[in-house]
Amino acid sequence: MQLRYVFSELGQGLRRNLTMHVAVVLTLFVSLTLVGLGVLLNQQADKAASYWGSQLQITVWLCKEKDDNPACTGEVTDAQKQAIEKVTKDNPEVADYHFESKEQAFEKVKELLGPDKFQGPNPAATAADMPQSLWITLKDPDQYKGITSAVVGLDGVSGIRDARQTLKPLYGSINALQWGALGTAAFLVIAALLLVANTIRLAAFARRREIGIMRLVGASTVYIALPFLLEALVTALIGVTLAAGGLGAFMYFGVHQRIEGKLNFIPWVGGSEYVVAVIAIAILGPILTLLPTLVLTRKYLKV
Amino acid sequence: MIRFEKVTKTYAGMGHPALDQVSVDVDKGEFVFLVGASGSGKSTFLRLILREYRASSGRIYVAGKEINRLAGWKVPRLRRSIGTVFQDFRLLPNKTVSENVAFALQVIGRSRSEIATLVPETLELVGLEGKGDRMPDELSGGEQQRVAIARAFVNRPMILIADEPTGNLDPTTSVGIMKLLDRINRTGTTVLMATHDAGIVDQMRKRVIELDDGRVIRDQAQGVYGFQH
Repeated sequence: MQLRYVFSELGQGLRRNLTMHVAVVLTLFVSLTLVGLGVLLNQQADKAASYWGSQLQITVWLCKEKDDNPACTGEVTDAQKQAIEKVTKDNPEVADYHFESKEQAFEKVKELLGPDKFQGPNPAATAADMPQSLWITLKDPDQYKGITSAVVGLDGVSGIRDARQTLKPLYGSINALQWGALGTAAFLVIAALLLVANTIRLAAFARRREIGIMRLVGASTVYIALPFLLEALVTALIGVTLAAGGLGAFMYFGVHQRIEGKLNFIPWVGGSEYVVAVIAIAILGPILTLLPTLVLTRKYLKV
Repeated sequence: MIRFEKVTKTYAGMGHPALDQVSVDVDKGEFVFLVGASGSGKSTFLRLILREYRASSGRIYVAGKEINRLAGWKVPRLRRSIGTVFQDFRLLPNKTVSENVAFALQVIGRSRSEIATLVPETLELVGLEGKGDRMPDELSGGEQQRVAIARAFVNRPMILIADEPTGNLDPTTSVGIMKLLDRINRTGTTVLMATHDAGIVDQMRKRVIELDDGRVIRDQAQGVYGFQH
């Protein structure tokens, strides 16, 4: 296949419809940035929940050696843990539960405060200093008194943390921001789809003579549609690149430089979450332009 | 080469069929005129050969293949074996004569070296040697139609379809175009031409198929345009 024609058509097409392409790119840029923010916020909520428990979770600290609670006589024993597990399992308010080991607790603390403090000859804490814990997920956030009173007096239990009231506004605002971003993105996505559709209609109209002759002399459908698909792909890639840049700037200047240092009681999204968000928009962007292009080229360029 | 077996074509929303039980057999290398009033079904007949539409019923064979059953992605291959010329030339105004002819080869993926030989060769055949660098609007109507014929023939199709190719041309120029189509026919290409031009049909004395209201009312070897003339 001669690609020279395809690429010269691609260049011509991009230039001919420049204003439309700019409109598509800008709409994609803003909508993909918002989608990316939604993805980041979603991950932020998960991250906070992994440390503080979700809106349905309460944490039962188990006794460790040298526990602050005088009721503890030493590290919780396996027999005590089994007794606690049995009470938890039989309680009707409990949907699910799992134990967390000292090592898991240590990993979380390291992630929150940074690993530097825990290295070298004089670490701030070691895994041995961490308590074991039991994470209980409730069926109903309002039904928790039965299980807390049942567990609190058991041997081997040091205390119960129910941070849900404190965390409620935090989760609430993360949630609101997430859905606000995704909802606004949804409108812009519709605008982007319509813009792409219009761009293709204009391009197909501008090239109707060429397309008519190509069909007549037996050019394959793929060959006819290829300049359109490449145009769609190019605009999508520019939109994705801009959105990834925007999200990167938000991560660096917003999260890393402003929030992270001041609000360090929860772990914040970082590089790996940014990568997830960029992958999400890198998949979504081309779909948003290629899908209407495929549908409409079938309609306008039918052999 | 082309075979219609009881072909009926009814367009959506039209009660009356555009073609009604048409059976026609055209051999390889024949020259056939398709005549009849406007709306008699000539264009539908030609478009069915190109598989621009599917027949509502009946079978159409082109080069041995039943094209009604052809999968959509095989249609381009069918069209590569058919050249088409129209009354309004349909040249690309922003390309030179050579580029217009070369376009037909480029878009079906022929190599540059093939294009470099075939295009001048074909322009010479249609009598346009030396005019490859002109733009279409610098040419006369007859010359433009020669470019269109060159474009239709450059891929050496087995069949050439011409839908009123002389409809926009004066009689003298038309004779030149007919001579050219006759020359192409002599290379073994089957030529199928729809026309209203009685003079040409009477002069050429080729096979004539007359359509009226979607039916074949006459199929005559070495025929004339019509008895009313």
